[in-house]
Amino acid sequence: MNILLRLQLFFQITGHYASYFLAYIFETIFFLIFVVISLIAMIYIFRKYMARLQLRIGPNRVGKFGLLQLIADALKLVGKESIIPKLRDDFAYKAAPYIVFIGLVVGFVIIPYGSFYWIGSLTITHSNVSLILFFGAIAMMPIGEVLAGISSHNKYAVIGAFRGIAKDVSFEVPMMISAVSLVMMDSALSRTSLNFETLVSTQFIPFGILQPLGLFVFMVAMIARSSYTPFDLSESDSEIVSGYSTEYSGMRFGLFYMGMFGSIFLGSLVVSLLYLGGFNGPYSSYAGFIYLLIKGLILVLISFLIWLSMPRIRVDRFINFGWKILLPISIINLIWAGFLTLGVIS
Amino acid sequence: MIEVKEPKRIPLIGSLQGMYTVFKHLFKKPITVQYPEEKAYTPARFKFRIFLSMDDCVGCTLCEQVCPNLSIRMIVVERNNPHNKRNLYPQVNFGTCTVCRNCEEICPTEAIYLTHELETARTKNNFFYSPEELEKTESEVKK
Repeated sequence: MNILLRLQLFFQITGHYASYFLAYIFETIFFLIFVVISLIAMIYIFRKYMARLQLRIGPNRVGKFGLLQLIADALKLVGKESIIPKLRDDFAYKAAPYIVFIGLVVGFVIIPYGSFYWIGSLTITHSNVSLILFFGAIAMMPIGEVLAGISSHNKYAVIGAFRGIAKDVSFEVPMMISAVSLVMMDSALSRTSLNFETLVSTQFIPFGILQPLGLFVFMVAMIARSSYTPFDLSESDSEIVSGYSTEYSGMRFGLFYMGMFGSIFLGSLVVSLLYLGGFNGPYSSYAGFIYLLIKGLILVLISFLIWLSMPRIRVDRFINFGWKILLPISIINLIWAGFLTLGVIS
Repeated sequence: MIEVKEPKRIPLIGSLQGMYTVFKHLFKKPITVQYPEEKAYTPARFKFRIFLSMDDCVGCTLCEQVCPNLSIRMIVVERNNPHNKRNLYPQVNFGTCTVCRNCEEICPTEAIYLTHELETARTKNNFFYSPEELEKTESEVKK
């Protein structure tokens, strides 16, 4: 029993097709609320955590413990005038933030969430190729960033977009190879290992223990995907103003900002799903979602710690790092996974 | 040419050490002091506002003479004080006072002295304190 069927049962008096229609709509609404609340919570946690690490106090004026600060900030961003450049490429300029945000939301839609108490499975997308769908969805985000950079007609934005492309090209290949080695290992355990949910639920021990190199490569790739400090080449605010989002203000900038924090959360969830066992654990048919959230939150805190303690890497060094270190490591990991698959698991 | 031996470096160790150093700060107390609600520590010998005990003042004008930037002016206040026949009392301008504490040092009767009180901000265009105001605490002056 999953959340869609529960909702469909609730709306059954409206008839077969109408009940499914309403169930899909309400599932989408619940899901969007979950995503937005988790993004707001992420930004709040980040600000408090950063403040504590820097021996400050952090937001504490709006609401109890500053809990309403982020809502106040969001209201401010919505109310702000959107200043747009005169020489922009209009459609691309306006579409770019939405592409980033939609890529993020679709990424959240596709990943499995495990079960939660009597509601049952919270997973939204049931597909046999959801792993491929997921990587396709998060590949939308850099398109939005590149469009934003090029359509702004601003030299800093263009440099930011170019750096973003250089970064994406150098970490995507190792990331995909380490994902392939996971699928390869899981193919010995199940028939539909491209299904994200089976890939997670058939992990008899977390794959991160079997493939530590793969975990390292994938974590680095997820950090680079969310583009925060060690790899924030495309934003690098001390060099090129704000990178691809230089010319954006108001809610359009807010979408980029939320996209960044959302991709940190999404990346942490995906790493915990693929490598740390995700929603597996004792009583996982009741509390699987809680396990996933706890693992995700711990990874988020580690990501923030990395963000706050490391300096930015230079562009050429990152490309060297991607092609000369991450790629060989991921290939070694692939060979190791093949050895494990043929020699141990099967 | 002198060859400098670089120490053998293990990859990622430096980054992990940095992360550990940053993480340790999570368990330390914040340095920030939320000023109006919490008061920061003030050293014991720190003094700021000048107080005056009008009964002890003899109107000798020494404080006016010793004040380096003319913050103290003697003014006449009609008051029945047998020690102070000329009815001269100091009026202090805190806008220019540099807290040099010369007046406190020179005063023969210890009528003028400095205290720990330091929050003198108020909605007024000057910082002149009349002799009567110098006798009161800051909260009474603001009323």
